Amino acid sequence: MSTRQREPLIFEQSVPGKRGMDLPPLDVPPPRDTRAAHLRRRDFGILPSVSEVDVIRHFTRMSHWNYGVDDGIYPLGSCTMKHNPRLNEKAAALPGFTDCHPMAPDELAQGNLELIYTLQEWLKEITGLPGITLQPSAGAAGELTGVMLIRAYHVSRGAARRIILIPDSAHGTNPATAAMAGYEVLEVASGPDGTISFTDLDEGGKTRRGLNSLLAEFGPEVAGLMVTNPNTLGVFEQAIQEVADALHAVGALMYMDGANMNALVGVARPGDFGVDVMHLNLHKTFSTPHGGGGPGSGPVACSAALEPFLPVPVVRRDTRRVGEGEVETHTYRWDWDRPKSIGKVHTYHGNFGMLVRALAYCLSHGADGLKQATLRAIVNANYIRARLSGTYHLPIQSPTLHEVVFSDTRQAAHDVHTLDIAKRLIDCGFHPPTVYFPLIVPGAIMIEPTESESKAELDAFCEAMLTIAREAETDPELLHQAPTTAPLRRLDETTAARRPVLRWRSPETT
Amino acid sequence: MRYLPSAPAEDRALLETIGVRNAEELLGGIPDRLRLGRELALPPHASEQEVAWEMGRLSARNARFCAQFLGAGAYDHFVPAAVDAQIGRQEWFTAYTPYQPEISQGTLQHIFEYQTLIADLAGLDVSNASLYDGGTACVEAALMAVRVQKKRRTVLVSRGLHPFYRQVLATAFAPHQELRLVELPLAAGGTEPADLAAALHEDVAAVLVGYPNFLGSVEDLTALGEVAHGRGALLVSVTQEPFALGWLEAPGRAGADMACGEAMSFGNKLNYGGPYLGFLAVRDSHKREIPGRVVGQTVDLEGRTGYVLTLTAREQHIRRDKATSNICSNQGLAALRANIFLQLAGPQGLAGLAELNAAKAQFLRSRLLELPDFEPVFDRPFFNEFVLRYHGDVATLREACLRESLLPGLDLGPWYPELEGCLLWCATELHTRGMIESVVEVAARVPSLNREGA
Ligand SMILES: Cc1ncc(COP(=O)(O)O)c(C=O)c1O
Repeated sequence: MSTRQREPLIFEQSVPGKRGMDLPPLDVPPPRDTRAAHLRRRDFGILPSVSEVDVIRHFTRMSHWNYGVDDGIYPLGSCTMKHNPRLNEKAAALPGFTDCHPMAPDELAQGNLELIYTLQEWLKEITGLPGITLQPSAGAAGELTGVMLIRAYHVSRGAARRIILIPDSAHGTNPATAAMAGYEVLEVASGPDGTISFTDLDEGGKTRRGLNSLLAEFGPEVAGLMVTNPNTLGVFEQAIQEVADALHAVGALMYMDGANMNALVGVARPGDFGVDVMHLNLHKTFSTPHGGGGPGSGPVACSAALEPFLPVPVVRRDTRRVGEGEVETHTYRWDWDRPKSIGKVHTYHGNFGMLVRALAYCLSHGADGLKQATLRAIVNANYIRARLSGTYHLPIQSPTLHEVVFSDTRQAAHDVHTLDIAKRLIDCGFHPPTVYFPLIVPGAIMIEPTESESKAELDAFCEAMLTIAREAETDPELLHQAPTTAPLRRLDETTAARRPVLRWRSPETT
Repeated sequence: MRYLPSAPAEDRALLETIGVRNAEELLGGIPDRLRLGRELALPPHASEQEVAWEMGRLSARNARFCAQFLGAGAYDHFVPAAVDAQIGRQEWFTAYTPYQPEISQGTLQHIFEYQTLIADLAGLDVSNASLYDGGTACVEAALMAVRVQKKRRTVLVSRGLHPFYRQVLATAFAPHQELRLVELPLAAGGTEPADLAAALHEDVAAVLVGYPNFLGSVEDLTALGEVAHGRGALLVSVTQEPFALGWLEAPGRAGADMACGEAMSFGNKLNYGGPYLGFLAVRDSHKREIPGRVVGQTVDLEGRTGYVLTLTAREQHIRRDKATSNICSNQGLAALRANIFLQLAGPQGLAGLAELNAAKAQFLRSRLLELPDFEPVFDRPFFNEFVLRYHGDVATLREACLRESLLPGLDLGPWYPELEGCLLWCATELHTRGMIESVVEVAARVPSLNREGA
């Protein structure tokens, strides 16, 4: 470990003449083509001159200021920060995978094609949906692909339609996606239990529209609804089938944001409760590491009606029977002949390295392990709910699955708020939960432990939360000052946004 | 199941505290009729060994090559051992997006350095924390240009852009009836300023050109920029091989207003197409329209320097349907690889690598041109990729190369019908003189067909 509290930017460590890379000698004549001389680079700007030792120490020291899943519970709600198995990393680093060119002829990339095909079969069975693409790079990219499928479907039946409905509890990517797909967003109210409201709700004289009246008024113009199930409060939409029926009755489709699929794998399948199209987050449910902000992977699964519109190319398996025993052999290929396809959504085949890890996760768990993981994730979240709900306000009483949302209502009486609780958790050695989301719960504290956490780790986390609640009453200032043991105290985000410094500049040039 | 922390006594204690007899009781929120009334029809769990074998079997089904002369947007470069070693640290690869800056300074400082390097290589002011890949980076750049340009609704796209980038652009623009995507023709492998002048009008927000383009040609950004700016359009350079930025003038200094593309070449492996690294750099005046995460420098309560995610008022979690993009998770770890790679390379490494790439490609081209069946198609400056017409049978040439474990250049016919019979060749620092000689030798042995005569 390094206890240094500051690591200079690499640019400040640069010493002209140092180098961190030696190159092989030029074994061919030097470049002679001078036609682009006027376009040649003369200045290498601020690239640092440092040795390999400098670089390795620089990144190693910086890494010590990061909290990772191996450090302990990472209870970010909606993010499903589960254990990242090392086998999966090893598999993804096999040279047969890493050295394969994306435009390699199909017959020379049979392993990759078989892997993609196999993972697709797993995900189809898990979601209960017959169509799938693994191209989207993350959840949001999956959403965009899914909504574009919806659009293409409507266009093929006459008109794209104008509106996408989104519950007020939705993640920000949902409305942002709908807008990127050319749709207008209308918000659907959620009822007192956080699930989609069929009826209009009156809130201090302001009407928040429920599903029924929105569909009655805009029905033929509604392309679809984007729903997260279980929703962002961890509550299963009990009436999901009725929501689907109401949508289908006006020709609209139901999109499911599968960010919370960790609550359903092996237990319930979106294809069985009316979902037409959805995305999965391999970097959540299927354990591929989050990488400090990606790469993720957001496969999209869909109904047979939407299948023709999937991005090109799609993988195909051809089966032949050979020999006396009629042994089946399979070959795989990319099928580009898809006249109704929306086109490509990724330059090549998506974040393939993540697909390798996700298949390793599936094979390791198997049908039995996948279901056990789901149940354990639900047990862990409900254990935290049971231990903390006497102390922290639980805004919604309905049964919850893989995550639980509290609020700071009780602590606010002592002028202690969600942010203070989160920062104090850091001092106690834990990564904070998701805070201030979903927006429908003011001061939300959204906790998702995942199945990876042992009883001991859950207990330690709960003890910290309970201690913090006591401190809120006895010593609120302690919480306002937190964190004090992290490499830095609270950071000034307002100034950062008002007078942005987004890069280093050499003192000589400024 | 080895990843689950189950132990009978503890499991019971958990359930007791919750107040249920078994885990199934907790599924009460899911109506019975909506549950899967059976087990998933999938194989049972497997040991680590068995899964390792299976992954080994799959990876071994892919062909390995002595040398790949295929680039076309995905480049085989050397990755220093320090990159993989560092990436293997759990502090980097298991962390989430740095939402809690006090315990994410490692990731945040790295992104700040990455942004600095990308902006500087591009000759522009501001870079974001990364985008998914080259194709989606083009989409984000084009949509951003339309936002910046207010009333202008047309984006011109050079036919020299990677065909897949153009397909991704077409997919993303299809829902937007109000926007128009118009192709600029190629003349002799490049985008002619005169053709651009003819296509420009008051509605054109931006022009996207490859730098170098898909066919390897170095477009004249300065000339194109003058023409574009004359009619109020922005010039967006699209780079699919960023090693070229060690050879060519920074796009921002050559005339581009925005630079985007694919940066997988910096420290990332081919990986059958991903994870790769979309990048986007823009001018300071446009920074509040940039999509995706951006890290800024600030201070903590005690005045110490630190880093945070900033300009969040642009983003989906605040602005929802008015956000500059829907992107949330990006390609963080791929950007970390690029950052480590660039720091190791430094100015000498990047310049040296660029020279090696240019030299190998020029050598490969001149050796192939010594054979009677190869002929230049056009004559433009290039970096590490170039196009040659082949007068023999492309399929036969390909088979001959594959037999020697050499992956030849890309057959351009399917992507550019006007270049039927032409191949796009690539050479990098990984190609020794010997490898280049062997592909030339193989090509020399393939019987000539001479199409003109046929
Ligand atoms: C409910 C929900 N939807 C969508 C997303 C976006 O996913 P990604 O970051 O993979 O794009 C998230 C991620 O946090 C989420 O929690």
